[in-house]
Amino acid sequence: MNMLARIRRIPFWSWLWFILGALYFILPLYATLEFSLGMERDVIGFKAYGRAFEDPEFLRTFLYSNVLALLTIIASIILIVPTAYWIRLRLPEARRIVEFITLLPFVVPAIILVFGLIRIYSSPVNIPFTNTTILQPLTTFEVGTDILIVAGYVVLGLPYMYRSVDTGMRTVDVRTLTEAAQSLGASWFTIIVRVILPNIRAALLSGALLTFAIVVGEVTLASFLGVPAFGPYLFLLGQHRAYEPAALSFASFLMTWVVMGLIQLFTGGQGQAAGAH
Amino acid sequence: MTHLALKNISKQFGDFMAVSDFNLDVKKGEFVSFLGPSGCGKTTTLRMIAGFEIPSSGFITIDGADITNKAPSQRNVGMVFQSYALFPNMTVAQNIGFGLRVRKEKESDVKDRVAEMLSIINLEKKADSFPYQLSGGQMQRVALARALAIRPEVLLLDEPLSALDAKIRISLRAEIRSIQQKLGITAIYVTHDQEEALSLSDRIVVMREGEMDQIGTPFEIYNFPKTVFVANFVGTLNNASAEVVDPVRSLIAIDGVQLESAVDLKDRKKGDKVRVAIRPERFSFASEQKKANVVDCTIENITFLGSIVRIQVMIGKAKFYMDTFNNPFLELPKIGDKDQVTCSKEAVLVLDE
Amino acid sequence: MTQTALNPKVSVPASDWKKWLGVLPFFLFAILFLVLPSLRLIVGSFTNDEGRFTFVNILQLFQEKSILDAYWLSIRISAATALGGGIFGFLLAYSVTVGGLPKPLRSALITFSGVASNFAGVPLAFAFIATLGRTGFVTALVENLFGVNLYKQTNFDLYSFLGLSLTYMYFQFPLMVLIMAPALDGLKREWREAAENLGASTTQYWLRVAFPVLLPSILGSMILLFGNAFGAYATAYALTGGRLGIITIQIGAQIRGDVLHNPGLGYAMAMGMVVIMAVSLVGYSWLQRKTERWLK
Repeated sequence: MNMLARIRRIPFWSWLWFILGALYFILPLYATLEFSLGMERDVIGFKAYGRAFEDPEFLRTFLYSNVLALLTIIASIILIVPTAYWIRLRLPEARRIVEFITLLPFVVPAIILVFGLIRIYSSPVNIPFTNTTILQPLTTFEVGTDILIVAGYVVLGLPYMYRSVDTGMRTVDVRTLTEAAQSLGASWFTIIVRVILPNIRAALLSGALLTFAIVVGEVTLASFLGVPAFGPYLFLLGQHRAYEPAALSFASFLMTWVVMGLIQLFTGGQGQAAGAH
Repeated sequence: MTHLALKNISKQFGDFMAVSDFNLDVKKGEFVSFLGPSGCGKTTTLRMIAGFEIPSSGFITIDGADITNKAPSQRNVGMVFQSYALFPNMTVAQNIGFGLRVRKEKESDVKDRVAEMLSIINLEKKADSFPYQLSGGQMQRVALARALAIRPEVLLLDEPLSALDAKIRISLRAEIRSIQQKLGITAIYVTHDQEEALSLSDRIVVMREGEMDQIGTPFEIYNFPKTVFVANFVGTLNNASAEVVDPVRSLIAIDGVQLESAVDLKDRKKGDKVRVAIRPERFSFASEQKKANVVDCTIENITFLGSIVRIQVMIGKAKFYMDTFNNPFLELPKIGDKDQVTCSKEAVLVLDE
Repeated sequence: MTQTALNPKVSVPASDWKKWLGVLPFFLFAILFLVLPSLRLIVGSFTNDEGRFTFVNILQLFQEKSILDAYWLSIRISAATALGGGIFGFLLAYSVTVGGLPKPLRSALITFSGVASNFAGVPLAFAFIATLGRTGFVTALVENLFGVNLYKQTNFDLYSFLGLSLTYMYFQFPLMVLIMAPALDGLKREWREAAENLGASTTQYWLRVAFPVLLPSILGSMILLFGNAFGAYATAYALTGGRLGIITIQIGAQIRGDVLHNPGLGYAMAMGMVVIMAVSLVGYSWLQRKTERWLK
């Protein structure tokens, strides 16, 4: 084939869009990295990173957020897996309403959710239009606030976790697996622990990783509920310092990359989006 | 006179030769099938006629005009796809009228033509339905009408019925054939189903691994297969290794059991290894009527297939199937019985090993 | 009546209401932590200072200029980023699917999109400050290359409508790519071939077949992008520190300290947001159903 034909085969516009996109995405990352390396005058070094990671506040809040993420993941799995399983096996009629519920977090974004959560659980609950009160405010107990924020995170992660688990169950056809296990004499506990869970491992992992990414970087719920999480810490850091926040931002980008890469590994390249916070 | 001609057509993908040296002359109004297993090159050849693949060498002409390098949109051949490929955003009527509107024909002409096609395929009532509201058979008819609406020179069909249920397949293929004949349009039909090819075609091209094994009428292909592959692919066939016993008298032997054939064996030598093929339906029990060949055998198995009873016999060490029509009053032999079967000389085909 | 919870071997059909016990924990959770908070806001917006039912708050919502401005600003930013993100995201997705770029580029884009769509909030704001802030990398670059100081010689300001929109694009583009790439894959090759076979040019194919088929998907995704931007808080707050008066930031201020001096109005603001998001969701679902129907 002659040269002209070969040139004509190169998709010019496609390359243009791609290069423009690449530029747009890479520039901010590069800018952050370059800035973060410039803490020591005239030296390109990792001083900012060292400082940032050595800060005891960083360790405290980062640890706290990780623990929160873990608790959220566990709570989500305990809540969602049996529910999705039950719906597939016994109660297909509930599917529509449960799926509707998993769409609600889209209608109630974090800022609205935290608004409602605070108003309900930080003051004695008033039954509307009357004068009766019930419940001690949840937020007077420190544990209460922790419970609240984990619950909030479970809500935020609900759409992704549920969809992930549900798809995983559909793919391995849990109904048939269950019937096979039952015909071989397995108890319910055995079925769930030794048949179902292992088979939806990939879905659980990808949902868990996504939840992890959402929780560790989350700011809205954390700052309004006053918990010592990583998000508010990073924000505060940005008010007082210049280089360390840039370093942590770049580091957090890398961490997100690792997490998403793992998800890709487990889901075979589908890609997941959590959207804005 | 030739309407569509393929001369020395070859197609190479990297190291793989998908089609090699394909030659075909098709008359106007002729229905030709490309028959063969998956990967034999039949679809590739069809796509070259449509213009979706460019031949590595050779050329294609319609009415003498060379279309080998013409863009698909310029060829005026209508194609019916295996997956129907109806445009999901358009109604049946809009799908059918698509080719005409793209050619900027007058709207009133388009409407008339669409109505005409709808009545040919008997789907007037579904004119405003969308593809997702149609059954598989209905979608296929719309696809056919869409291809015919543009008055193509040649109609190309790529396994159009393979995604449909058996019953619909049979009724739809009859419809396709009758429409094709009524319109007198040249058609090329790709299929791996030999029953389809046999029932629809004026001529069949049997293909294997990119090459043409045989071309002929259905009658010729079925009764006089030239190679073991064709014989095996078209219809059920018994075959076994044999040795030439007497080239002059056309005698061959399967494991010592001698049979006389009607095939001319004069250019073979005694002792040559050949393949003998006999259609199951050409056998019958010797007790009814003796033909040229009478052979001792043992009954191995009896299978009831509905209108046919298939009996497995051992001739020498070779396994043969014999098909006889089901007859409620037929006294069938028992498994293990020793019996005699017979067949004519003409039934014994001798092919290269 | 034996519930088969203890003995799965005996399959006796459970009576209707007992079946629903299985999803009770889920419903309970949803009620406690999703429904109740939302209800609190809804009820609160209909409550006046004395605790009695009223429409006054809702009415005030439409009368208070600052609130209307906040909504309008949010709507404008969300619409702008939905449109811009939608168009460019579509072009990106197009380039690596139908557009014919090599496969590794597609994997790279999809993976990166997954990452970038999660990279919102504080780190994103910082990244853009480092890029387009007063001493940002690109700001300096533009000055060095073209001699133009963005801040002094033009009206550009990162902490503005334009700046925030540019920042939002960082997660809007990827979201669009992640949704549109599979949709573009869904364009069957046979449709293009059938169109070509019937005489259509590439343009005619795109105009008459491909775009119409993709349209519900594209519109639905843009609505998703709209909702995504509309509900965003952290990124805007981290970037502008509350200076840009979008509705989420106003609500944030209200949560902290009742700046409106009118709790009922605050709740009404929140409820207004929920209403707008709900309308978007309805539109999105309707378009989703249409897409699924056509691409059966």
